[in-house]
Amino acid sequence: MQGFALYPFDPPGDVAALRADLRGWLAANQPRGDVVKRANCWASFDADFSRALGAAGYVGMTLPARYGGGDRHPLERYVVIEELLAAGAPVGAHWIADRQTGPLILRYGSEAQRQRYLPGIAKGELYACIGLSEPGAGSDLAAVRTTARETSEGWRINGQKIWTTGAHLSHVILALVRTEEGSERNAGLSQLLVDLDTPGITIRPIIDMAGHHDFNEIFFDDVLVPHGALVGERGQGWKQVTAELGLERSGPERYLSSHALFVALIDAAGADPEPAVAGLIGELTAEIWTLRQLSMSTAAKLAAGEDPMVEASVVKELGNAFEQDMPRRVQAIVTSGWDDASDLAKLLRALLIASPSFSLRGGTREVIRGIIARGLGLR
Amino acid sequence: MSAAREMLCDTARAVLSGATDIAPVEEAGFALLLVPEDEGGFGGDWSDAHAVLHIAGMAAPDLPVADLMLSGLGEVSLPYRAAATVSLMAGAMGQALSLSIDHVNTRQQFGRPLGKFQAVQQSLAVMACEVAAVEAAAAAMAARLDATGFDIDAASFEIAAAKLRANRAVGVVTAIAHQVHGAIGFTREYDLQRVTIPLMRWRGEHGNDAYWAQVLGRQVAGLGGRGLWESLTARTG
Ligand SMILES: Cc1cc2nc3c(=O)[nH]c(=O)nc-3n(C[C@H](O)[C@H](O)[C@H](O)COP(=O)(O)OP(=O)(O)OC[C@H]3O[C@@H](n4cnc5c(N)ncnc54)[C@H](O)[C@@H]3O)c2cc1C
Repeated sequence: MQGFALYPFDPPGDVAALRADLRGWLAANQPRGDVVKRANCWASFDADFSRALGAAGYVGMTLPARYGGGDRHPLERYVVIEELLAAGAPVGAHWIADRQTGPLILRYGSEAQRQRYLPGIAKGELYACIGLSEPGAGSDLAAVRTTARETSEGWRINGQKIWTTGAHLSHVILALVRTEEGSERNAGLSQLLVDLDTPGITIRPIIDMAGHHDFNEIFFDDVLVPHGALVGERGQGWKQVTAELGLERSGPERYLSSHALFVALIDAAGADPEPAVAGLIGELTAEIWTLRQLSMSTAAKLAAGEDPMVEASVVKELGNAFEQDMPRRVQAIVTSGWDDASDLAKLLRALLIASPSFSLRGGTREVIRGIIARGLGLR
Repeated sequence: MSAAREMLCDTARAVLSGATDIAPVEEAGFALLLVPEDEGGFGGDWSDAHAVLHIAGMAAPDLPVADLMLSGLGEVSLPYRAAATVSLMAGAMGQALSLSIDHVNTRQQFGRPLGKFQAVQQSLAVMACEVAAVEAAAAAMAARLDATGFDIDAASFEIAAAKLRANRAVGVVTAIAHQVHGAIGFTREYDLQRVTIPLMRWRGEHGNDAYWAQVLGRQVAGLGGRGLWESLTARTG
């Protein structure tokens, strides 16, 4: 990975108009409510908002029109999602389905799966969750033990997933399971798309340290799903999953999770800030501007059909460090009580508490650095 | 990269590799690179300058190549010098990273190359991220200077951000490069100090961290929280 040449970010069409339309739409439709919902907003679930966003054509943008999608270019979608995140819009409900499950179904899914799931995803009405982690398989994902056995009636699933964000609000789970008996490590794995109302599935909440119910554990007790639940090729689950993970690490959500706090900091500072505050704003601005260039360049590379696995990991590593450090750096210089009612204080507290997760979800810092080291030729 | 820029870079590499004296660099005509064609120059754009300075930062960080190149523009203000320095810094950091990777792949301890140890791998990954950030910042800054026709006021935001980002990377990059090299990197003979000492010097020249942080911070405070985002998106993409 010698040198990081910037790849030109050049979406088709009138990008300024796309931004202006969306900003106008948000001004009319973004819920005003609780300012804290704007922090880490891709974890904020709001089905009404997702449905309205879908109706306005901002969900499933890159899916083909025959499946209800917008037939738009991936970089047009990039523009839309960075605007939504910068505005702190509550995009959590449809986020996973729009970002990865929909595109994955389009790429690997059967025609029946596409027809069944994609239109609902594009409407912002059908939500998906990611079934990778298990109690014994965290960073070491190849240790997955949940099994699916093929029978004459279909696949029988037994096992457990954990940390499944939004499972209690989702319609489907895309689960990585072991389909080949006696297989080990990353061989013999497959992806199954399972409706969460199938008998035998139990979803239990896990309350996070912020007191929120976002993630869950899911038990599969002899769950029977049709043969057609298999996504892509039997036994190719590992390849499909790593492509899915690797390519979704460079999005703007990897550096914008704390953006609402930055906005509040700048607004609270006023036009003539004291030197310490001005200095911090300057440093954070240099970071965010640089990260945006890196993220856009990587998105453009992806859109051009390349495989920028290492660049994507660089964006995640730097982006997570930025969004995670920001609350700490803000706290170090602003005077505000833990329970103060100002927007700045509320966002600060919420993000100090939420931010440890930023370098865990989507691959831990250590795992991401390992991928970068491999790109450097060290492993 | 365009064919013309490829050729320019080939020339720059040929002239700058191992150069110990600015005279041959002067003879190659780099002072004319940014001078418009109708004034007898090469009419290069800022991205051309960036490409040459990047090579200079790698191959000849001790020579005043940036001064030479800027001399074609007459008396220039601090932001021009800061912009040129960012490109040098990107090149020098890339060189520090290559030297480090080569070293850990070659040097053996405990019966293995150092690069096989996870602690070393993780350090170099951190360093590579900083280098990538500076590379991206330098290239984006150059693109902005080109988009504005070298208008230093219109590009002041990008220059401030890029110099500040590069400055902040210096500590991490030089520290990790020296750490993974061990004692050999602390010698005068070994090439590492040829890039790390200039990096230390450049951090303080043409605006240190505090200087650019104040400039940028005050500019952004004037924009307001939402205004920052509107400005970022109006500038690129
Ligand atoms: C907010 C949140 C949402 C999540 N949502 C989902 C979801 O929707 N679906 C899903 O499937 N999962 C989800 N996860 C789980 C996430 O993918 C895992 O937390 C992550 O993969 C790490 O696994 P673990 O928590 O078991 O940690 P462990 O793997 O036990 O790791 C603990 C620590 O040890 C380090 N470590 C582990 N192995 C090594 C090694 N070989 N070398 C060096 N260091 C190592 C790790 O980097 C980490 O710092 C979510 C997690 C969070 C925090």
